[in-house]
Amino acid sequence: MIKYKGIISVILTELILCVILTTGCGSTPVVLDNSVSGEEDDGRIVIGFSQLGAESDWRSANSESMRSTFTGEKGYRLIFEDGQQKQSNQMTAIRTFIQQEVDYIVLAPVTETGWENVLEEARKAGIPVILMDRMVDVEDSELYVCHVGSDFELEGAKACEWLKAYVEKKEIDESNLHIANIQGTLGSTAQIGRTKGLSDAAKKYGWDLIAEVPGDFIQAKGREAMEQLLSEYEDINVVYCENDNEAMGAIEAIEAAGRHTGTDIENGDIMIISFDGVNEDALSLVRNKKISCIAECNPDLAPKIETVIKQLEKGETPQKLSYVDEELYSSEEDVLSINAGGREYKVTVLR
Amino acid sequence: MNTLKKITKNQLFIPLAALLILAMFNLIMDPGFFKITLGQNNMGNYVLSGYLITILDSGSELAILAIGMTLVTAASGGQDISVGAVIAIGGSAMLRVLCGNDPKPAQLHAPIIVAFLVSCIVCMLFGAFNGTLVAYFKIQPMVATLIMYTAGRSIAAWINNNTLPVISPTASPSFAYFGGFIPGIPIPTPVFIAIICMIIIALVLKFTNLGLYTQSVGINESSSKLNGLNPQAIKLLSFVILGLCVAVAALIKVSRIQTINYSVIAKDIEMDAILAVALGGNALSGGKFNMPASIIGAYVIQFLTTTLYKFKVQSDALPAYKAVVVILLVVLSAPVVREYLSGLKKKIKAGGKEVA
Amino acid sequence: MKNKLKNMTDTNLLLTITIIVFFLMYIGAIVFQGKGFLKPQTFFNILNANAALIITSVGMSIVMITGGIDISVGGVVALVSMSCAVYLDYHDGNVFTSILIALGIGILFGLVQGYLVAYLDIQPFIVSLAGMFFARGMTTIVNSAPFNVANEKFIALKETRIVVPGMGSVNKKGVYVNAYVEIGVIVALLVVLIFFFVLRWTKLGRNFYAVGGNKQSALMLGINVKRTKFISHMICSTLAGIGGYVYFLHVGSGSASHASGMEMNAIASSIIGGTMLTGGVGNIIGTFFGVLSLSTIQNIVSSAGFDQAWWTGITIAAMLCIFLVIQSVVMARKNK
Repeated sequence: MIKYKGIISVILTELILCVILTTGCGSTPVVLDNSVSGEEDDGRIVIGFSQLGAESDWRSANSESMRSTFTGEKGYRLIFEDGQQKQSNQMTAIRTFIQQEVDYIVLAPVTETGWENVLEEARKAGIPVILMDRMVDVEDSELYVCHVGSDFELEGAKACEWLKAYVEKKEIDESNLHIANIQGTLGSTAQIGRTKGLSDAAKKYGWDLIAEVPGDFIQAKGREAMEQLLSEYEDINVVYCENDNEAMGAIEAIEAAGRHTGTDIENGDIMIISFDGVNEDALSLVRNKKISCIAECNPDLAPKIETVIKQLEKGETPQKLSYVDEELYSSEEDVLSINAGGREYKVTVLR
Repeated sequence: MNTLKKITKNQLFIPLAALLILAMFNLIMDPGFFKITLGQNNMGNYVLSGYLITILDSGSELAILAIGMTLVTAASGGQDISVGAVIAIGGSAMLRVLCGNDPKPAQLHAPIIVAFLVSCIVCMLFGAFNGTLVAYFKIQPMVATLIMYTAGRSIAAWINNNTLPVISPTASPSFAYFGGFIPGIPIPTPVFIAIICMIIIALVLKFTNLGLYTQSVGINESSSKLNGLNPQAIKLLSFVILGLCVAVAALIKVSRIQTINYSVIAKDIEMDAILAVALGGNALSGGKFNMPASIIGAYVIQFLTTTLYKFKVQSDALPAYKAVVVILLVVLSAPVVREYLSGLKKKIKAGGKEVA
Repeated sequence: MKNKLKNMTDTNLLLTITIIVFFLMYIGAIVFQGKGFLKPQTFFNILNANAALIITSVGMSIVMITGGIDISVGGVVALVSMSCAVYLDYHDGNVFTSILIALGIGILFGLVQGYLVAYLDIQPFIVSLAGMFFARGMTTIVNSAPFNVANEKFIALKETRIVVPGMGSVNKKGVYVNAYVEIGVIVALLVVLIFFFVLRWTKLGRNFYAVGGNKQSALMLGINVKRTKFISHMICSTLAGIGGYVYFLHVGSGSASHASGMEMNAIASSIIGGTMLTGGVGNIIGTFFGVLSLSTIQNIVSSAGFDQAWWTGITIAAMLCIFLVIQSVVMARKNK
């Protein structure tokens, strides 16, 4: 028993030290907090940014937009946290931001639900939260200041309107369309909006929507999903991919199966419709006529967020929802403009 | 009766029997499984396709890894759980050399062979790191490789600054050959690479003492030391060899998709590789090993995976079915169960005699 | 000093190293990053986020002390979260039954894995590997899409917060905010205390060490090795079930990717806490500090504003490496 004595005394001292440490700082938080905040960042605006991951080119472009907008020279300090596709990571990140007493939190949530708790904590700490890209589903919309993003349902509607206009122009029988949807991460705003855009259009025009399979916005999953679709359904002629990475995967799978992608669906081509259009790769696929139509999803959201922050700094109330302008790219010249959501959109033809 | 006993006692029995059962299952469910067709792919080349080809093709990486894993298991009595992560590192290093700083290069910055050699060296270095911890610091292999398992994918992302380099066919048409087809040859290239690896290891085992030394170190470290071997060096060597296998697997993996995804590439392949060794009937606690059995084990796993895919099992649900099969196999091969079964057989025999 | 070193048991020596390193690290964080780490809530947040990991790590340590390993715990946690989520949301179940489901899943895994390892003498790595595959696969079969639970009673339980008096802090606007912990933390601390006592002062606890230290001599001492091994796996899986529910309480959702890599974090925590995979050496308090060290490092890395996700992986690995080498060197010197 004697040999235990030393170690027990060590543990005891440590424990006592621990208690002293924690209670010690618990009793004097006021002084500490006031003295530290403000000084450390010499008047710079500190922004905690919880990005949901780095799963797609869109996401990388979006992160880049944030980094290049909120730079040190402009008087910002951006704390970037990659949530790696997990809500729990993002919650931890927000709690860390709260600890650090950042001035603003920008959140690109991975899913829509389950945010009440942590947003409430941010509100209690007096830190405004700006949502980016995807939405959150909370009853109390006061939990966030505003949402800056894309109108995903409109994107979906635009893509479908293009398809409608194209088949009408080419006089293709609409009952011959067999559409498969490779969906994005289930439950994300982009997936919900784009899926709704397609299913609404399918209902409206009586299109044959044969399958909806998840592809998680990832190229490898898109390929896997397409392989499965090809083996299951022989008659697919339109694939609606909810982002470009999935489309690239799908094209790989289609070509590996010895089929061709393109607009000539009456002669065995499989038409690819996709979203995002953020990088040259995807656009060059349009040029090569492998992707027939891309509804752009603009990743450059940071300037709008900067505007919001400037408004907040002045004490103004920003608009609750703000959408960015987005284009439509196509490989074909047959359709030059479409009408969706009560507005006319021009189609940019890439050659 | 005696020959039957000899066959069941053979280490190759379990993996071969498993292979046979799987094949029978497929034959009954859908003979189309064995159909091999010659078709044209999108490049206009004639290629073979069919489930069997898929198994041979996608089982290649696993078979190559199983070679290294068998040696590591035999020498150190433990397993390397970092192979998937090191594949990410090797692949990343290769792409870094090929692409330089430009994630989408118009042409390659270095010949493929140079990139491959760099990747080999990198992977062998990481193997040596694992090996040093195991051999010289006497840390259990699973724990020592846990370090690289945790850090590997992060390091891989770091090498390329978290960009995802892509080698487009215009930059280098030949880069895709390693994971796809060489024009004019209808059999997937990974099959050839795997066969080359197998031939090399067979020659090495035949003409050097590697096999003998590894086994003796695994069976009894101190007695092999007394016999003049250097157990530490041999353990280290086994990890370095595994590193080389990993580099080859990384080449195939990266070439298949011509890009890399750090968090997904070769995910859970370490588990499959260890499983291959176990299915081959090799003791995971080290010592004697049977290389062909491990390699067949790898193909059994791929056979199972492909079969499950064919029956439209979701890729995420796949492990559940795999688990059931694995448990069945290991339970059947467990010494306790085998003893019980043979006891049962004797009883039945005895019972039969009495009746007679 | 050298004498003292000699007199310590392996377990206690490693434990001391762990605790000292943890405090040095935390003090370092306060000194270099100030602000956040001085607030008790920061520490409580670490506890809140890692309560489940603490519970599963305790189970892992016990299995490791008996010389085994269980890599199925992460899978079990995911399966428990998903099963409970589906039960509560789709079948409108009650909270109490969902806890029973969690326990049931844990015990079931314990029974099967324990039986296979202890009585059929199959390597624990392979058994629990299959267990992991099975649990992960089952999770997707139960429900493949991740979703958040909307069951009101469950949410009420999830949002229950225990205010820690005197530990709050003042926010930017000068309002006092209470410090809190979640229910899971209380469960975790209870688990740590119970198993600390079990390992130290009960016959069962001593049997664990004996079986892990030397199977042969344990047999000679009349210990039922098989049963002891079985019980250790039983405890580990049951704790994984409880940990799964605590995890579920913390995140409030079901997802196939939940707790991915948790088994490795649990192993790493146990190792940092001074448990050796060879068996016979380890301590639950050490494991507790192991989890804290691991998560503090994560917190430091993310607070430091390294804006790339890979830093976390690399630092944890570096820390693991340092600990392993320290342990290996210290043990080697001591046993000379």
